[in-house]
Amino acid sequence: MSLPAPPDDGSSRKGRTRHGGSPSKRPARPQQRPAPAAAPGPAPLPAPRVDPRDRLRRILFLVPYAVKHPGIAVKELARRCGCTEKELVEDLDFLLNVGSPPFGPDDFLDVYVEGDRVHVALHQSFSRPPRFTESEAAALAAAAQALGGEGRERAVKALRDSVPRDRRQSFDELSGRIYAGAPPAPDSVLGRLQRAIAEHRAVRLAYHSASRDAETDRVVHPYTLAQRFGHWYLYGHDRQRERPLAFRVDRIRECQPLAERFEPPGDAELGRMRLFSETRGEPVQLRIAAGATAWAVARPGIRLVKRLEDGGAVVEVGAGQEWAARFALSLGGQAEVLSPAAARKHFAEQVRRTLDRYGA
Amino acid sequence: MQKDQRLLDLAALLLKAAEPVSWREIQEQFPEDYAGTGEAAIRKFERDKADLLELGIPVRYAAGDEDLPAGYLIDKDEFYLPDLRLPPEDLALLYVAGSAALAQGTFPYARDLAHALNKLSFAASAPGASESAAQAARQLSADGEAPPAVVRWLEELSRAIAHKKSVDLVYRKAGAREATARKVDPYGLYQKAGAWYLAAWCHTKEKVLTFHVSRIVSLVVNPSAPRTPDFTPRKDFSLADLASRETWEFEQHAPQRCRVRIDAPVSNEVLASFGPRARVVEEEGGLVVEITATNADALMRHVLSLGDVAEILSPRALRDRSREVLASLLEKLA
Repeated sequence: MSLPAPPDDGSSRKGRTRHGGSPSKRPARPQQRPAPAAAPGPAPLPAPRVDPRDRLRRILFLVPYAVKHPGIAVKELARRCGCTEKELVEDLDFLLNVGSPPFGPDDFLDVYVEGDRVHVALHQSFSRPPRFTESEAAALAAAAQALGGEGRERAVKALRDSVPRDRRQSFDELSGRIYAGAPPAPDSVLGRLQRAIAEHRAVRLAYHSASRDAETDRVVHPYTLAQRFGHWYLYGHDRQRERPLAFRVDRIRECQPLAERFEPPGDAELGRMRLFSETRGEPVQLRIAAGATAWAVARPGIRLVKRLEDGGAVVEVGAGQEWAARFALSLGGQAEVLSPAAARKHFAEQVRRTLDRYGA
Repeated sequence: MQKDQRLLDLAALLLKAAEPVSWREIQEQFPEDYAGTGEAAIRKFERDKADLLELGIPVRYAAGDEDLPAGYLIDKDEFYLPDLRLPPEDLALLYVAGSAALAQGTFPYARDLAHALNKLSFAASAPGASESAAQAARQLSADGEAPPAVVRWLEELSRAIAHKKSVDLVYRKAGAREATARKVDPYGLYQKAGAWYLAAWCHTKEKVLTFHVSRIVSLVVNPSAPRTPDFTPRKDFSLADLASRETWEFEQHAPQRCRVRIDAPVSNEVLASFGPRARVVEEEGGLVVEITATNADALMRHVLSLGDVAEILSPRALRDRSREVLASLLEKLA
């Protein structure tokens, strides 16, 4: 791999030049990593206590990723590493001091930033990240178990096999300590959806439409699955309605893959997408009695508007008047719909019709 | 030498070595860190080894033989993340499920999950469409700012669970004005309807209790001897059983048989909402669901939430109570 020479304007950080010395003798290394360039402005706040292992985990990903993507932008690399650009630059500074004994010039990682691009000359030892730790694998396995699909056992086994042998028992134990929910649909339905997403293939759905309270037949280009307010949604382009829509996965009774392939939306288009693109009208406000407030405000999708003197609260929901009515009823008489007037009327009608069943 | 630097240098040394590296050689290469002949140096090295293993780097001691000297080594096969060799649909499952979970901002082991997702790009040599599907899942699942307290409690509880450390918990029960302090052994975390719960052995009540994580006021994980477990979870404990309990299965009173009628067409979603232990009998124009409830009030609330397509048939008292609730609501709304 040939790398462009670093410029001489001082903006580059290069290990070899900084640590050049006799190849057989360990060069004197600073006891602490070099301080980042001083920035004008107020003195920085004391840094929060950092677990050194956090940085190492980041670096064990950063190095192979930068090797695999030569010249990656600092910003992009920071995003991939889940850290700020400042942290990334500090990590790169730290890397200048990393090498392997006997610490000759060739024993250091060759890292430099040119312009805003990162180059890491290959240090064979860190060309791939290490295996999954048991908690990394267990967290991912818990997420996969909760979504489900025909491949979930295969996927969990593959994750287990990717943990160092000595830690597999800990993985098994830890996996039993996180339960992220039960799959929203039979594994066969989810398996077909996942395959269709991976293969860009259209699907035919038997879908229960809540607004029409009837089963509908849909042809959808499945883009992805997403989770909001405790529910899973299929997000994809509905052919008849000619726009992307969200489908509650637990309302899909059947999913049939079709031969038709589709062109997935580009990153820019995906960036603009929202799970619920339709405006759902004015938010609905509800009054919650004191006894149910703590429970109600802890629910996802509920926004607290104000607390009331009696210990109750006014909350707001954005999911429409039907959902609001059901939510109020689920609180067993401890909630009522306040506004808008149409939603309150809808709620009253719902209550009256239900009461009729009980022979009022 | 700083610890993070020492760990990485040590890993680099062992990865590059063609044969096991003796303890003496390691000491020579890290004179400031592992100096001396005493136990202290070895203990320090053992701690570093344990830290490396926690990072996914297994360092092993090999007894020598005719061909190789005795010493420490990192097996390349045991170190590098292997290819998962999964079909595209399974990769889609991992990418999408992991990204959606992370996007919620509240997931146990969130930091580990983020690392795992990053590593997936190496473990899946041909991720196909999954990477962009994952990006979309992440964006569509993001749900505003996660409550910082919940994020923090989940992180600390994750650690306490993994290391089996006891926790001092200050908790405010639903409806209670005062918070109470208690000591618990954290067994696991589960999610229901989008909210996280802690299942833990309560030292005072001497049984497993569940705690709504958002109602935790404060918590302190036992800081002493972080690598030594404080407890062993009871053998009969199953997080999945506890997590899949319906609200009407919480123990409030003696078991009661309840019957609920639902009009046709009954969607899967509604049927599934009664849980796996409900017995379903078809009747003309609909279904009758039979349930054993130990918290009948919760069952009533669930049936009410289904609106006018469902009603409680029996027991009589629960039916009467549903009527009362609806009648008083209607009065309030008039």
